[in-house]
Amino acid sequence: MAQFTFPLPDVGEGLTEAEIVHWHVKPGDHIAVNQIVCEIETAKSLVELPSPFVGVVHELLAQEGDTVQVGSPIISVTGEGDEPEPDTGATQAVADSAGSVSQEEQAPVKNLVGYGAGATDVVSRRRRTQPAPSPQAAVEGSMVAPGAAEGGSVLAKPPVRKLAKDLGVDISAVTPTGSSGEVLREDVIRGAGQATVFKNLETPAWPENREERIPVKGVRKAIAQAMVKSMFSAPHVSVFVDVDATRTMEFVKRLKASPDFVGIKVSPLLVMVKAMIWAVQRNPTVNSTWTDEEIIVHHYVNLGVAAATPRGLIVPNVKDAQNLSLRELAAALEQLTNTAREGKTTPDAMSNGTITITNLGSFGVDTGTPILNPGEVSIVALGTIKPKPWIVEGEVRSRMVTTVAASFDHRVVDGDVASRFVADVASVMEEPALLLD
Amino acid sequence: MPYTDATLRLLGQDGVLVKDERVEKYHQAIAHLDEADFREFYRVMNVVRRFDIEAGNLQRQGHMALWVPSIGQEAAQVGSGFASRPQDHIFPAYREHSVAYIKGLDLVDIIRMLRGVTNGGWDPKKTNNFHLYTLVLATQTLHATGYAMGIGYDGACSTGNLEKDEAVMVYFGDGATSEGDTNEALIFAQSYQTPQVFFLQNNHWAISVPVRVQSRTPLFERAAGFGVPSVQIDGNDVLMSYAATRLALDAARSGQGPHFIEALTYRIGAHTTSDDPTKYRDEDELKFWQAHDPIDRFKSFLEARGVESSFFAEVTQEAEDYAADVRVRTLAIEDPPLEDIFQHVYTEDHPVVAEELAWLKNYTESFEAGAK
Amino acid sequence: MAKAINEGLRAAMVGNNKVMMMGEDIAQLGGVFRVTEGLQEQFGPNRVVDTPLAESGIVGTAIGLAMRGYRPVCEIQFDGFIYPALDQIISQLAKLTARHAGTQAFPVVIRIPYGGHIGAIEHHQESPEAYFAHTPGLRVVSPATPHDAYWMIQEAIACDDPVIYLEPKSRYWYKGQVDDTSAGVETYRARVARVGTDVTLVGHGAMVSMLHQAAEVAQGEGVSAEVIDLRSLSPIDYATIEASVSKTKHLVVAQEAPGNASVGSEIAATMTEKAFYVMEAPVLRVSSFNAPFPPARLESQYLPDVDRILDAVDRSLAY
Repeated sequence: MAQFTFPLPDVGEGLTEAEIVHWHVKPGDHIAVNQIVCEIETAKSLVELPSPFVGVVHELLAQEGDTVQVGSPIISVTGEGDEPEPDTGATQAVADSAGSVSQEEQAPVKNLVGYGAGATDVVSRRRRTQPAPSPQAAVEGSMVAPGAAEGGSVLAKPPVRKLAKDLGVDISAVTPTGSSGEVLREDVIRGAGQATVFKNLETPAWPENREERIPVKGVRKAIAQAMVKSMFSAPHVSVFVDVDATRTMEFVKRLKASPDFVGIKVSPLLVMVKAMIWAVQRNPTVNSTWTDEEIIVHHYVNLGVAAATPRGLIVPNVKDAQNLSLRELAAALEQLTNTAREGKTTPDAMSNGTITITNLGSFGVDTGTPILNPGEVSIVALGTIKPKPWIVEGEVRSRMVTTVAASFDHRVVDGDVASRFVADVASVMEEPALLLD
Repeated sequence: MPYTDATLRLLGQDGVLVKDERVEKYHQAIAHLDEADFREFYRVMNVVRRFDIEAGNLQRQGHMALWVPSIGQEAAQVGSGFASRPQDHIFPAYREHSVAYIKGLDLVDIIRMLRGVTNGGWDPKKTNNFHLYTLVLATQTLHATGYAMGIGYDGACSTGNLEKDEAVMVYFGDGATSEGDTNEALIFAQSYQTPQVFFLQNNHWAISVPVRVQSRTPLFERAAGFGVPSVQIDGNDVLMSYAATRLALDAARSGQGPHFIEALTYRIGAHTTSDDPTKYRDEDELKFWQAHDPIDRFKSFLEARGVESSFFAEVTQEAEDYAADVRVRTLAIEDPPLEDIFQHVYTEDHPVVAEELAWLKNYTESFEAGAK
Repeated sequence: MAKAINEGLRAAMVGNNKVMMMGEDIAQLGGVFRVTEGLQEQFGPNRVVDTPLAESGIVGTAIGLAMRGYRPVCEIQFDGFIYPALDQIISQLAKLTARHAGTQAFPVVIRIPYGGHIGAIEHHQESPEAYFAHTPGLRVVSPATPHDAYWMIQEAIACDDPVIYLEPKSRYWYKGQVDDTSAGVETYRARVARVGTDVTLVGHGAMVSMLHQAAEVAQGEGVSAEVIDLRSLSPIDYATIEASVSKTKHLVVAQEAPGNASVGSEIAATMTEKAFYVMEAPVLRVSSFNAPFPPARLESQYLPDVDRILDAVDRSLAY
C-alpha cells in the first residue's frame, strides 16, 4: 500500500504560491480520483483541486489559511491495494525534492509543467564529469600556438599592447613568456627597463683567425687610463639598497601621458637623476672633488650619464642640472643620449662633471659596483626595475623592485654619508612625492 | 436573448423538430441520416465532453500548463465535423476537440501540446487533414483561404463529384473576427471564390471581453458585407450544425465560392484553466446557456424517438473508460529528447543548427547524469 | 511585481487624467495577469478600455488617441501576439515624431509580458526585445524588481517618446520592497545590483535574478561578480557598464532571447570598442539557442541557466 503526496500545482501559468481556503476532505476519508479535495486562492482566482489519487486521506499537510509554495506537498493519500496509482510526475517531483531536502544545499525541484516559474532558493552548480565544452559557435583556439604567428605578428591582449605603446616599447622586440606564446604584461615591463641603444646583436660565427689584435688608442686608451687612475687612487666602497620603485614607475607612466611631456622621453632614470640632485642637496660632500690639499665641494651639479657608444663608454654631463625643471632635465638627458649615440659628444660636454649615474638596468642587470669617474667621489648605478615579491602591509605582493647601488671615494665619503645619500636616492624612488620638498 | 429572428434551428431545446419553412432545405440535408448516425452524434459529444473534464482535472493536478475547455460547444463541432467529407481540409483554432476526435486525431496529442512536449503534435496527413491547432488567433483563416485557393488552382473542386471535390473548413471564434487576418481572409476568399466554409463558433466571450465589444451587429451579417453568403444557426443544435455545414461545404466545393456560418453557442467553462469567469460573467447568463445544453437537447430528441435507456448508460460508461485511459496515457507521457529543440528548425541542413546541437549535447553530457 | 505595476499605473492615472489604458481583458477581468485589476472600477470605462481582439488595431488607435492629446498605455496580452502590431509600431509609432518634425509627440506606452520559465505554450514565452531595440525612435525598457517596475512604468508614461515596456512574466508573482516615497529610479541608468570585482554580469528583466544566483555560486568559488541590471535596452547605459568593466576587466552578457543579432550582440560589439584596452577577455554572451522556442518541457535546456552563465564566467577568467 503506497503513499502518495500531492504537491501544490501551478494552476495559472507562472504562479508561485496559493492559499488553502477550504479543505473538503479530512484524514480517514476515502477519496476517488478527481474528487475535489480543497479550494485554493491564487493571485488570479479561486480554484478547486481534484485528487490525483484514489485511496484514504492520510494527512493534510497544510492548514486552511496557510499560504503554500507551488511544489510543496499539501496532502498525503494512502493508495488502495487494488488500484495502484502509477508514479505520477507529481509524486516523482516530491520524491526527488524529499530526497534532496535531507541533503542540504540540493538543487530545487526541476521545473515541471504545472509547477510554476521555478524556485529561486538554493542554487548550486550541477556536478560535472567532464570539463565544460568550448563555447557555442566559438572560433576554436583564438590564441594560436607559437610558430603559427607567421609574418612576425605578435600575440598580445589589447591591454598589453596599450601598455607597450605607453611605455614606448617595441612589442615585436619583446620576448614573450605566455603559455600560448603571447606577450605578457611583465614581458613588456621588462622590455621597458632596457634602453634600445644598440640593435640586438646576433651571435656571430667563430672567426677563422685565432686572434684579433685591437690597438689601444683613442677612446679605449682614454677609458683605460681613467679607470686605472680612478680605481687605484680612490679607495672605492660600494653601498646597495633594494627599494620598491612601483610609485616611480606609476609616476613615469603618468608623465608619459601628460600633455607637458609629449614628445619627450621619460624614464625611471629621469626620476633617479632628480633624486640624486635632491640627495646631493642633503649630503653635499658626495658632490665634490679630491685634491691632495683640499676637498672641493661643488654647489652645482654637472650630472654625468654613462653612455655606451659604438666606440666605447663616455660620460657626458648635463651642466647645472640643479637649475633644470623636470621637463628641461628630461630634454637635456634625451639630447645627451642622442648626441652620444651619434658620436658627436664634445669634449666640453665630457668635462667638469661632479657626479655620475650609470644605467645598468638597460642591460637587464640587477646591480653592480661602478668605478668612479675621475675627479668625482660618487657614482650611482641604476639597476633593472622588475616585479619581485615584496611585503606590503604585512602581505606578500608583487611590486616593481630595483637595487640602488653607489660607489664612493672613501677618502671623502664615509660610510654614514654614503648610506644616507643612497638612502635618500632610494627613498625618492620609493616615493617621488618627496621631490616636492 | 442571444438568439435572433435570423437564428435557424432544426431542433428546439425540448428535443422536438421545428416546423418552419425557412429550414425546409436543412431538413432535406439531414434526411439521409439514420438512427446509427444520431447515436454516433450523441456518443461523440459525450465522450469528448468527458475527455474535456478529465483533461481539466489533469491540469489541476499539475500535468499541463493549461487546458482549453470546449464544454458547451460540442453540438456546433460534432455537427459540422460529421458534415465534412473525408477529402476536406480542416483548419481549427485551438478548441475544436470534437472535430479533432471525429477526424481521427488521438486526443492525447492535444494534451501533449499543452503539456509542453510538442508545439503541435500531429501530421495533418495522418489525421484526415485536420491541421494543427493555431494559438495565435485568426492566423489560420488566411492559411485556410490560401489552401482553398490551391485546391482551385489544382482543379480539385467544381467537377460536380461530391465524393471527390475538395473543400476547406476553417474554425474561429468571435474574438478572432476582429483580427485583420480574418477580414483579409474573407476578402481573398471572395475575390478568388474559394471552395471554403468559414465556421464561426460565436461562444460569446473572448476571455473576458463579450462579443458586443467585437461587433455591434450580428457577426454573420459582416460576412454578407464581404459578399460571402452567410447564415446564423443555433450552434447547440447538432442537427442544424450538421445541416448548415453540409449544405455550405457542398455548395463551396461545387463552385459556388466561400460560405459563412455563425454558430451561436456558449463557452460554459473558462477560456483556459488560467482564467476565472466568475470575475466577469453573469450567473444568469451561465444558467441560460446551461439550460440550452446541446447534449441534453439531443438526449431529449433521442429519448422521444424511443432510444433505450441502456444506450445512454453505455455511452456514459464508454466516456468514463475513455477518460480513464486518457489519464493513464497522460501520466505515462515522456519528456521530449533534447534533439527536438533543433530537429526540424529547417528542412535542409543548416550550419548553425548542427553546431548548436552538437554543443548542447556535449554540454549536457559533461554533467553527472541526473544532476539537477 | 504585478501589484507594483498596478500601483504605478494607478499613480500615473491619478496624476494625469489624459492617461488611459487599452487592451484585451484589462477592464473587468483586470488583465490575464491581474496587472490592471481594479483600475476600471476606479477610473471608469473611458479610461480603462477593453478593446476588440486586434493588436494592430490597439496600437493604431492608440496613435490616433495620442494625436488627440491622450497618453495611451496599451497592453498586448503576450509577447507572441505583438507581431500583428509591428507595422503600426515600426512603420508608424517609431517614425511619427520625426515625420512630424517634432511638432507633435507620441507618448504611447506598450506594455508586453514577455519571457519564459513558466512552462507556457507556444507564443507565450518569447523575448522579442531585439526587434524594438533595433528600431530607432522607440525606447525599450524592462524592470527586474517590483520597486523598479513601480517607478519605471510611471516614468515610461511620463515620457513623451513611445516606450515599449517589457514585463518579465516569470517575475510577476515575486515580491520585493517598493519605496513609493523615493524620487523614482533613473530608467535610463543601469543599476548595479550587486558589487563585485572579478567579472561583470549584465542582464535585464528575469535574467537579473538568475545572475544573482550565479553570483552567489561564484562567490562560494572565490569569484566576486558584479551584477548590472540594464533597465533600458534602448538606449543602453554604457557608462555604467564601462565603469564596471574598467574595474573587473571581464564582461559576460546573459539574455533569454536567442543570441543571433540580439541586444547582447550589440552590447558585446559596443563594449569591445569602448573598453578594448581594458578588457582581459572578449565579451561573452549567454543566450538561448538559435531555434524557435521549443515545447515547454525543453525550455530549461533551451534558455540560459546558472551553469551556462558560470561556464561563461570561467571561460572569461581563463583568458
